[in-house]
Amino acid sequence: MAVRNLEVEVRRESGGAVLDLRGEINGFAQEALNAAYAEAEAMNPEAIILNFEGVDYINSTGIALIVGLLARARAAKRRLVAYGLSDHYVEIFNITRLSDFVNVFPDEESALSGAA
Amino acid sequence: MTAPRSGARRTLAELSVPSEPGNERRAMEEVARAVEGLGLPDRTLERLKTAVAEATMNAMEHGNNYRSEAPVVIEVSASEADLSVKLTDEGSGPPAFDSETPDLEAKLEGMQTPRGWGLFLIKSMVDEMSVTGDEHHHTVELVMHLGDRAEGGK
Repeated sequence: MAVRNLEVEVRRESGGAVLDLRGEINGFAQEALNAAYAEAEAMNPEAIILNFEGVDYINSTGIALIVGLLARARAAKRRLVAYGLSDHYVEIFNITRLSDFVNVFPDEESALSGAA
Repeated sequence: MTAPRSGARRTLAELSVPSEPGNERRAMEEVARAVEGLGLPDRTLERLKTAVAEATMNAMEHGNNYRSEAPVVIEVSASEADLSVKLTDEGSGPPAFDSETPDLEAKLEGMQTPRGWGLFLIKSMVDEMSVTGDEHHHTVELVMHLGDRAEGGK
């Protein structure tokens, strides 16, 4: 099975900068994820919103990458918000306690409202 | 303590994957195919897939040092009572798992590395996990209880 490298597009919305993630969040995703996050930071939004609708696999290395983004967001006093996670990955966000620090919403509309 | 097991055990699959980055997905999808006939609830299946992927990653990285010629051998079996997945690598010495319990706040404060979630995820996903080894191999066994499993249970 071929690894689906992560592709990320960044867009500015009224509630914050949205990272549209497509593919797998694993060790191969580091460069793309960090570059996209830096592009979003340059927009100086109050919140950065991670759209997981196109993500079908997150492993423990991917969790570590998300922890890294969360650390960057907290250092800049910026909120990190997520939506589009499957039920399984919502559970993983809960057991790792990521959801204590990253507000998780079911869809973009609620995420943008919650981030504003 | 391992619960007593009952009933005849049947092998559902025996497979191996080369130790190459990303192959944990191949392992988890092949195990998922092997257990299709068990009719596991979706939540249980997703938990099994995550545990298998993380155990495979650990075996490829720490047991086989990502040597592609060193496979991770996976045996899937089931009885009426439980489902077992055994993953064997070619590592020697004590099995290598990060023994530090991940603490997200400590990670965010830089007191722990951001990594180190693998063992925690495995233990959170399955009902039992055991590790055995000798001078030539490590074997991790993942067990999920099948009896009266409900969607709401672990």
